[in-house]
Amino acid sequence: MNPEIYVLWAAAIATLGVYTILYRENPISRLFEHIFVGLSAGYLLVATWALNLEGKWWTPMVAERRWYWIFAPVVGGLFYFIYSRRLGWLARLVMGLFFGTAAGTLFREFFPIYAPQIYACFKPLRADAQIGWFDVAVHHWVFVVILITVLSYFFFSVPHEGRFGRHLGRSALLGRWFLMIAFGAMFGNTVMARISLFIGRVEFLLTDWIGHYFP
Amino acid sequence: MQQTAPTSFWQRLQQIPRYYIYLLLAGVVVWQLIFPIQLPILPSAATQGVHDAIRAVPDDKIIIITTDWDASTQAETGPQTQAVIHACFQARKRFAIMNLQPPMGVKLAHDLAEEAAQDYDVSYGVDWCNWGYKYGYENVLMALGKDIPTTIGDDFYGNPVTDLPMMQGVEDIEDVGLVVEVTGLSGMTEMWIGLIQGPYRTPFASAYTAVMAPLYYPYLDSGQMQGMLVGAKGAAEMEVLTDKPGRATRIMNVQSWAHVLIILLIIVGNLGYLMARGRAGERAP
Amino acid sequence: MLGAIRQAFTFQPAQTILQLVVLLLASLAVSVALFFALHRFLGPRGRRWLIAAVTFIGGLFFGLEYFYPVHGDPAKNFLSDWIQPVSNMLAVIGAFTVGLGIYSLCQVHGRNVTQRKTGWHNSLAFFLAMLAMLVFGLWDHYLHLPEPLPKVLPWPKGIYEVLFNGLFAPLQAATFSLLAFYIASAAYRAFRIRTAEAGLMMVAAFIVMLGQVPIGAWLTSSIPQTSPYLSFFRLEMLGDWVMRWLNMPAQRGIVFGIAVGALAMSLRIWLSLERGTFFSEQS
Repeated sequence: MNPEIYVLWAAAIATLGVYTILYRENPISRLFEHIFVGLSAGYLLVATWALNLEGKWWTPMVAERRWYWIFAPVVGGLFYFIYSRRLGWLARLVMGLFFGTAAGTLFREFFPIYAPQIYACFKPLRADAQIGWFDVAVHHWVFVVILITVLSYFFFSVPHEGRFGRHLGRSALLGRWFLMIAFGAMFGNTVMARISLFIGRVEFLLTDWIGHYFP
Repeated sequence: MQQTAPTSFWQRLQQIPRYYIYLLLAGVVVWQLIFPIQLPILPSAATQGVHDAIRAVPDDKIIIITTDWDASTQAETGPQTQAVIHACFQARKRFAIMNLQPPMGVKLAHDLAEEAAQDYDVSYGVDWCNWGYKYGYENVLMALGKDIPTTIGDDFYGNPVTDLPMMQGVEDIEDVGLVVEVTGLSGMTEMWIGLIQGPYRTPFASAYTAVMAPLYYPYLDSGQMQGMLVGAKGAAEMEVLTDKPGRATRIMNVQSWAHVLIILLIIVGNLGYLMARGRAGERAP
Repeated sequence: MLGAIRQAFTFQPAQTILQLVVLLLASLAVSVALFFALHRFLGPRGRRWLIAAVTFIGGLFFGLEYFYPVHGDPAKNFLSDWIQPVSNMLAVIGAFTVGLGIYSLCQVHGRNVTQRKTGWHNSLAFFLAMLAMLVFGLWDHYLHLPEPLPKVLPWPKGIYEVLFNGLFAPLQAATFSLLAFYIASAAYRAFRIRTAEAGLMMVAAFIVMLGQVPIGAWLTSSIPQTSPYLSFFRLEMLGDWVMRWLNMPAQRGIVFGIAVGALAMSLRIWLSLERGTFFSEQS
């Protein structure tokens, strides 16, 4: 069986079916939404078994006779007691285990992630043989000013009153302006990302689907 | 909120029906796909960093390409993955695809790798392999650092990874020369940097959707990342560097004009707003 | 029998199939008995303490292994050799939670179908799609097709390709591509320069939007690329400067705030100081 042509038509019909929602909510788009959720659920089950549990749990337990792997579904099965009012605390037991390990993992990750970030905040503020005055002014000084003002914006321990508080308030105001620049940059990137997704779909419709018959 | 019917031209300028905007957007995209205006794409320093990092990997080490994306970001992350794969094939570096979440990405990436492999004299298991979807997030990474074969278990086809020729001698993270993360999910980078790049000093590069990329420039600045591909633009730049123009290059040609349209729409909306506000101010006593 | 007991206490693999079955059943029985005893004899306070203890030990293991001094070559401590097996076990345990979401979905859609609620045929489509993907996905996995794939594929593989590449991936891609229309419409309707800050945001957005695409470079292509100061005003260089030197420090400031907050929250959860965690208010 050569499924390519069926794949092409199924993909084109599915794409156009979803796009009908741009006109208004309709039964076709709703049907395709439900099909999508069903396929997603089915694939999650397939991937979890075929790419995870079979090789890492079933094979060691059955083929290699490592019987202690039976405790994995026993402990994992405790999650399902969340649906029971009486035995729900068993689900909290295993959730506690995972929350605890997540917290412990964050303690491990904290320094490798953030220590280099703090180190990188200290940039040369004078021109030298390696870096010219233009780069220092336009890059490093701008960086330091923005970083300090943005950090002052998020510093809520001191009210913006009194001599120090007023200076902090002005710094926080400047920080807010710089945050708006950052958000503008994020907006620009968001537009780029969303438009790319649409261009990708139209490119499929024109190049792969229609292009298959009218190259 | 109830809107009163627009009376002036400037008010009507702020309330163009959304269907016209949708049609304009679709029209611009279709126009450029059918009649593209080719403009040169200039690779950025961040993209060059990814390319150089791939080339700098020692021959006795492998590259891990972690494809944590799915069809929702396929237009950006698909070309990124394929461009990175082309760079690996061209530099003759062995690589392994893997996926932590969502599971769909590993098959999509596998199809892209198979498509790219047709251009080179390479074979699965010798020059590249697919470790598949491994659920567990940080637990997988912590285990991966210590013992790769046991952590991965079976590959995408269900065969033990230890049976693959390229996996002979690959024991732990010291045998990995670079991790390239291609993702549309935030939070994955912090795991890789916190558990692999930081403790083991494994070189790390990344490719993100354009939405996420602004959040990760600090890691580029601190040197924790060797380079970064930003959305379809990064993929197009990588295609230029590998001399393999593909989907991303076509997308970027269209993207320019779509951006111009969005900018024009924002200007038109604001023009209507400012002129209408000015008129209202004139009329006010 | 004695061999099985010795295997049980030393966690050795079973020697025969019979031993394996005995050990599996015995483990299940012991587990059920243990949880029954815990449920029967632990009151609400005892359960809270048990949950807090398990949470603490879970976090202590990973945190302690990182901070405890290491020695030898390769450098490690008494916990290092346990990281890999424990992490592996936790990953497998976590994989069993896949059924939670599936069960909720099946419950909701099952009710729609059995009670013939409005749109019940959509819920039926959900079940059919899920079953089809499950059946053909597993069938494809167990076909063990050779690499490279044959020119003519077996029909189960063909149907799986139609489901995955013909429906699943395009449906997801198309659904998310709708955002392009919504962002275009929203940008036109809602992005108004009511304040100077909004104006600043708009200018930054325009620079980035033009700088990230080829037309930006083309618009300022007359500015020489090699000029050390003038090249700064090329749109792609300006866009890069906005991202690297205006956006980046702001993001770093945000990241520091998030990092401290996340660390504090993790400490509170690890020490079970956070009320309402694990829905404890319900007990």
